[in-house]
Amino acid sequence: MGKSFLEKAKKFFKSWEFVLLLILIGEIVIFATKNPKFLMPRVLFGSLNDIISICIISLFVTFVMITGGIDIQAGSIVGLSSIVLGVAWQDAGINIWVAVLLAIFVAAICGAISGYFVAYCGVQPMVVTLGGSFLFSGIALLVSNLSSTASYKGISGFPESFLQLSKFRLFGVLPAQVIIFLVLAVIAYILLNRTKYGRMIFLVGVNKDAAEYSGINVKFITMTTYILSGISAAIAGIILTSYLGTAKSDIGMTFTLPIITAVVLGGTLSTGGKGTVVGTALAAIVIGVLKFGLPLCFKVPQQYLDIPVGMLLLVVVIGRSLLTNPKVIALLHKEDKK
Amino acid sequence: MNSVKKLLKARESGSLLFLVLLILLVGFINPSFWQPASLLGCLNDSVVFTLLAVGIAFVILTGEIDVSIGATLGMSAAVGATILRDGGSVVVAVLVALLIGAVIGFINGFGVSVLQVPSLIFTLGVNGVVRGLIYVYTGGAWVENLPATYTRASNVKLIGELTVFYAATFVFVLIANYIVTKTRRGKYFTAVGDNISGATLVGIPTTATKVSAYVICGILAAAAGMVYTSRIGFITPTAGNNYEMKAIAACVLGGVALTGGQGSLFGAAIGAIIMSSISRILVFLGFSSDYDNTITGIMLIVIVVVTTVAQNRSIIKNRHEILMARTNKSGENKKGETV
Repeated sequence: MGKSFLEKAKKFFKSWEFVLLLILIGEIVIFATKNPKFLMPRVLFGSLNDIISICIISLFVTFVMITGGIDIQAGSIVGLSSIVLGVAWQDAGINIWVAVLLAIFVAAICGAISGYFVAYCGVQPMVVTLGGSFLFSGIALLVSNLSSTASYKGISGFPESFLQLSKFRLFGVLPAQVIIFLVLAVIAYILLNRTKYGRMIFLVGVNKDAAEYSGINVKFITMTTYILSGISAAIAGIILTSYLGTAKSDIGMTFTLPIITAVVLGGTLSTGGKGTVVGTALAAIVIGVLKFGLPLCFKVPQQYLDIPVGMLLLVVVIGRSLLTNPKVIALLHKEDKK
Repeated sequence: MNSVKKLLKARESGSLLFLVLLILLVGFINPSFWQPASLLGCLNDSVVFTLLAVGIAFVILTGEIDVSIGATLGMSAAVGATILRDGGSVVVAVLVALLIGAVIGFINGFGVSVLQVPSLIFTLGVNGVVRGLIYVYTGGAWVENLPATYTRASNVKLIGELTVFYAATFVFVLIANYIVTKTRRGKYFTAVGDNISGATLVGIPTTATKVSAYVICGILAAAAGMVYTSRIGFITPTAGNNYEMKAIAACVLGGVALTGGQGSLFGAAIGAIIMSSISRILVFLGFSSDYDNTITGIMLIVIVVVTTVAQNRSIIKNRHEILMARTNKSGENKKGETV
């Protein structure tokens, strides 16, 4: 028993998640020594506010990427669900929570459409979701035209109960959206690692044919991952709408690249078959803390933040590909023998 | 006769047919679309996307992808425009811009083919870094007050309404298309994308081919940046945002397969015309340009789904025929043996 725990611990120390955890701790230590304010729980948790949508979506885009696909439409679904929510509430006069459900439903349909084309028609995921990103952002704009409010202004004036979704603080510190993220992370973890469904997703990613022959409905499983990522995009859109207090059709437009960055940084292979929810969650938090800490502690202008995030991604992927390169491995072994 | 058949079977002829049908259809609804001025206007508007799409087509043909071209466009345009604003000569500005494009392209090519990082991820990282560098370089400000001689250059007409820029782009596409489809070295790009192990075995320098595809792509993105500068007249730090997605969409519309090895530069150029004409066509049909993205998305998905399903059918049919032929043949051989 003790030994297996030791082995598990050893395995963990060698894992990518551990490296991410070290990076995260390093970040927090550096930022905290530079500016002690950073360690205040309110500031620390607040650092996640701006990136929480990306954290949530990347959890489920991980599922898509494990099956060997990619999802670059999630950003436009964020905008679509936000504006559907706003128009349904303000102009159609629907109860806000019913409107929330409607937004999630619409997003699930969007995911199902793309998932259907990927899984059942065999079209490349990249192309379908590229088309989807145009289509859904276009529909979002058209939906916003249904509203009596000009689309560039956004719909605001939501009821207090809805705004509480992002204002609420558990024990006065833990923001509600962070709680939602943690809950979703746990759900995603259980779904992927503790259920038959999760095993199927991995098998589909490792070897589609083998999965098909072992009786897994590969097409259906593939499609569901896109539906899940669509739903997560809707949840992110709803939280973002609550946080900003306005529903707009274009709020998720810049999310695509950060989402993929978080998933890849989290150790998910873009070729499929490998990936963890914990890794993605940690990577998203690493990016969030970096984006929050640099301006707060080092006065780095907001617009420059793409550079450190891009560099982080490049260093990680180059390092990882070097470590798996047979030539480099041979070189390292030689050094060992000497 | 054979060449006609070949032409009909080529992937880009579907896109060309689509473009022609689109023009005919829009013209039936609103005949003023058929006026040379508006038709040529579609061409003139497509210069930036044509350069981007043809550039990225080189990369896509080799089976990779480049999502950093939007940032490359912005960076080279910002630097080129700054040189122009400060009174530098046009030649220097363009050369520096192209050099920046080439350097970014080389970094991408090096990362993808030498360091073996998946191309989407590597160029994604480069995209972030370059996008941030644009802010560092411009300080977040717009580059304005460009010399009028340069901003007017995009309006100089060659014949009638056809601009010199489009004419030059068109000639370039024809030459590049000839090189890629007819010359030995040009065919390397498609060969690498079609079957990289096979290409390596027959002695094609796959690494060098991929790096040069990225360098060409970067240079063309920079050229698109200079055209953009001339057309728009000022550069914002977000110039070229999301253009990479539109360029990829243009390639897909033009029949360039993202799996690599299939399609042509000519097809990418046609796709770029379709992409950039959509908003103009919408105006002629009496729709607001708000429908732009919706129509683009629907078109993209429909075209891709239809071609993929047709392709899969024909693959299955071919496989079936090959199997049938084999079983017949082996049957005959057995008969021969017994006799």
